[in-house]
Amino acid sequence: MKNIRNFSIIAHIDHGKSTLADRLIQECGAVEERKLGEQMLDTMDIEKERGITIKAQSVRLRYKKDGREYVLNLIDTPGHVDFSYEVSRSLASSEGALLVVDASQGVEAQTIANVYIALENDLELIPVINKIDLPAADPQRVKEDIENSIGLDCSEAVEVSAKTGEGIKELLEAIIEKIPPPQGDPKAPTKALIYDSWFDSYLGALALVRVFDGEIRKGQEILVMGTGKRHEVLDLMYPHPIKPQKSDKISTGEIGIVVLGLKNIGDVQVGDTITDAKNPTDEPIEGFEEAKPFVFAGLYPIDTDKFEDLREALDKLKLNDAAISYEPETSAALGFGFRVGFLGLLHMEVVKERLEREFGLDLIATAPTVTYRVRKSDGEEIEIQNPSELPPPQEIDTIYEPYVKATIITPNEFLGNVITLVNEKRGVQKRMDYITEERVLLEYEIPMNEIVMDFYDKLKTVTKGYASFDYEPCGYKEGDLVKLDIRVAGEVVDALSIIVPKTKAQSRGRELVKKMKEIVPRQLFEVAIQASIGNKIIARETVKAMGKNVTAKCYGGDISRKRKLLEKQKAGKKRMKAIGKVQLPQEAFLTVLKID
Amino acid sequence: MLLYIHIPFCDSKCHYCSFVSYTKNHDLKRAYFEALTLQLEHELQRAESLKTVFIGGGTPSCAEWGYYEKIFDLISPYLLPEAEITAEANPTGATKEWLLGMRSLGVNRISLGVQSFNDAKLKFLGRSHTSKEALSAVYRAQEAGFERISCDIIYQCSIDNKRLIDEDLDILLSLPIEHVSAYELTIEEQTAFYGKEVKNSEEPFYLLIGEKLQDKFSQYEVSNYGRICMHNLGYWMHEPYIGVGCGAVGFYDSRRFYSQRDLRAYIKDPLKTRIETLSRSDLLIEKLFLGLRSVVGVERELLPLSMRERADDLVGEKLTLKNGRYYAKNLFLADELALYILGETL
Repeated sequence: MKNIRNFSIIAHIDHGKSTLADRLIQECGAVEERKLGEQMLDTMDIEKERGITIKAQSVRLRYKKDGREYVLNLIDTPGHVDFSYEVSRSLASSEGALLVVDASQGVEAQTIANVYIALENDLELIPVINKIDLPAADPQRVKEDIENSIGLDCSEAVEVSAKTGEGIKELLEAIIEKIPPPQGDPKAPTKALIYDSWFDSYLGALALVRVFDGEIRKGQEILVMGTGKRHEVLDLMYPHPIKPQKSDKISTGEIGIVVLGLKNIGDVQVGDTITDAKNPTDEPIEGFEEAKPFVFAGLYPIDTDKFEDLREALDKLKLNDAAISYEPETSAALGFGFRVGFLGLLHMEVVKERLEREFGLDLIATAPTVTYRVRKSDGEEIEIQNPSELPPPQEIDTIYEPYVKATIITPNEFLGNVITLVNEKRGVQKRMDYITEERVLLEYEIPMNEIVMDFYDKLKTVTKGYASFDYEPCGYKEGDLVKLDIRVAGEVVDALSIIVPKTKAQSRGRELVKKMKEIVPRQLFEVAIQASIGNKIIARETVKAMGKNVTAKCYGGDISRKRKLLEKQKAGKKRMKAIGKVQLPQEAFLTVLKID
Repeated sequence: MLLYIHIPFCDSKCHYCSFVSYTKNHDLKRAYFEALTLQLEHELQRAESLKTVFIGGGTPSCAEWGYYEKIFDLISPYLLPEAEITAEANPTGATKEWLLGMRSLGVNRISLGVQSFNDAKLKFLGRSHTSKEALSAVYRAQEAGFERISCDIIYQCSIDNKRLIDEDLDILLSLPIEHVSAYELTIEEQTAFYGKEVKNSEEPFYLLIGEKLQDKFSQYEVSNYGRICMHNLGYWMHEPYIGVGCGAVGFYDSRRFYSQRDLRAYIKDPLKTRIETLSRSDLLIEKLFLGLRSVVGVERELLPLSMRERADDLVGEKLTLKNGRYYAKNLFLADELALYILGETL
């Protein structure tokens, strides 16, 4: 056990975390040179394409120092704000973490957020200054940056270049020297934390565990304490990016994959404790907080017959992504679908893309929304995650909306832009500090609703990409809000309703119907597009009736050709949604996202 | 039965044309007509009589009238007394001799590929004739004794403007013709226009054309005005037709027959055809859009219940229902109407 080190890597997005993981794997010779692929721990297509890490991955490495062999368990973590839940899970199974900071960029908002999680878990932090090969690298300044903003001593920070391999040996030595070996009693009853689980189509539900006491043996009868169910251990493996390595046991302090041959991922829920069935431990390990989705959107199959397929796809996806929540809902406009909860906007995009790509579905996503709390005039309190559920104005006493504490770090030349943007988003400043002469740290309280749409994109725009941003929920406040409906040909399209501050309702309504007019193609009949609050119409645009849709030439007897053209048009229409007699293209449901 | 005969030769290729045509290989004409005769003889076996004949192209006037003698020998026993026999011609190819010759064989309707009476536009389209030649061709046809003359024009080109179209229409109205085909420019692959910005996407010229022509020529199909061409009407009514010649299409027994499109391959084996079998729903879709784009209309009883319901929704504003048939009020909406009526079905 003395020779085991369990550690994670935490960093802001793009600071080179996955590349550093690759380099460590290579240095320890865990993968043959010829099999080295870039970003080995990013296994999903989407991860490789977008260059982001979504799922935390683990790998067991061996490294020799001073004649002793060490086992290094590396846990790669996602860097995007949406996936901090994965980060906290990874950290719960580690004793230490590498805090990776880009030598040319310095500390970013996400760095700070991750450090807080690491400190809560009592982890030993090793500051790692990465990308020192870059011409713009300024390791000294970045170290000061870390000390000023986080208060972490950087005198022994390790300087590396994951790209060239410089400093990697020194880093491995530092990991062995500084990160404490795991504690635990090998003789005590088995006690292991499930810190990740996923579904493998051959092996069934797999649990990735960290053993705190005792050991897990092949053939052992274990008890999953949360479910109270007993299972036999069919197989054990050490994690590896290409080929997991089989083992007969996972000992105290180690991490490993437990194969139980289960069909249901719910039987090995993340956060649960595995113990020996005959000789159980007294207390389960304190799990970490469950991931709470706080962005909600409706997902509907374009082809209304595909509702059951969507359910099945969500069930399967949930096996790999414990953070999503979903329940069926019905929309008058879109038919049967699900209200799905996400950790954030990127998470929503990723989930939608995975559902479409891995399960072959065509989906419409409604505008994302947050959870509002409503106190009704009769005293009843309800939570709503779908604007169309908001009771009529006369039944509402107060609406409370969720706020976030937002941390923004920006070069001071963009400070004015950032403040203007945040003010537009109804933000209230809580803190403003210069962490260096050029960089400012801002803390704001902002209604979450204002940041779920495109706040991050806007922030990037007004700061030419230099600002970084992170947020965490910080409670509810009363809001002066109304529901804005969009009517197409007189009918309220429930999927287009949004909740907005009363002061912005007029301008939003006008903008929305204008945008809709551009998107809705001409139909057989004239189509009125209106914005309304309750029964009051506040804006209207008209899409004129179509005058012509026909191919002029149809002679020479080749009528099949013409028929095929028509069938093509028909297929195009099928991708639209019929609202009464009106065909709405999918983009219409996203217009709400595209207005200020 | 109707008969279509394709003549794939042209003097030059127009920039918009995607029909099977060859500007070279005229030395193959004799061989081609022999192959054509062979296929015709073969196909005629399934005809009892011929109601209409349409000789199209390509440019039928590219072949001297003598070439057609053998064809007429073959078909004359099948021709009904009042049979409509059309031949297409180019203004320059429609010489007095050719016109008289064709007339003597039995052709009683001439369709002239005029396209425009504006020289700049003719050049733009890649046509080889001038406005003056187009005008004289019409009068030549009249002098040759043709009572039924049709002119093709094309619109919605980038060169078009209201005045140009207006002038073309004025000329058409002054001529001794009984039919006009006005085709909107469509850009097809493998034409000189493909991928180029040659279309006017703004002006609704079709409205201007319909309005101006209506007094003398009433619209009976999206692109056709005046005295009804029985041959084309037959296509739209799903009447059976034989198609002979390279790239020609035939239709009978719910099947479409496609002759080979390559000239040499066709000459080698004129009897070889690709066959497409049409399902009931294929036929229904065709009946729907063909009926709505023309005066043919769509029989109400023919539609399945759900489609009938949607069609009934449209009666009044968009359709009329007369003697158990639906007719489009605006033929230019035919495709949209068909799509609406089809809904999610099929």
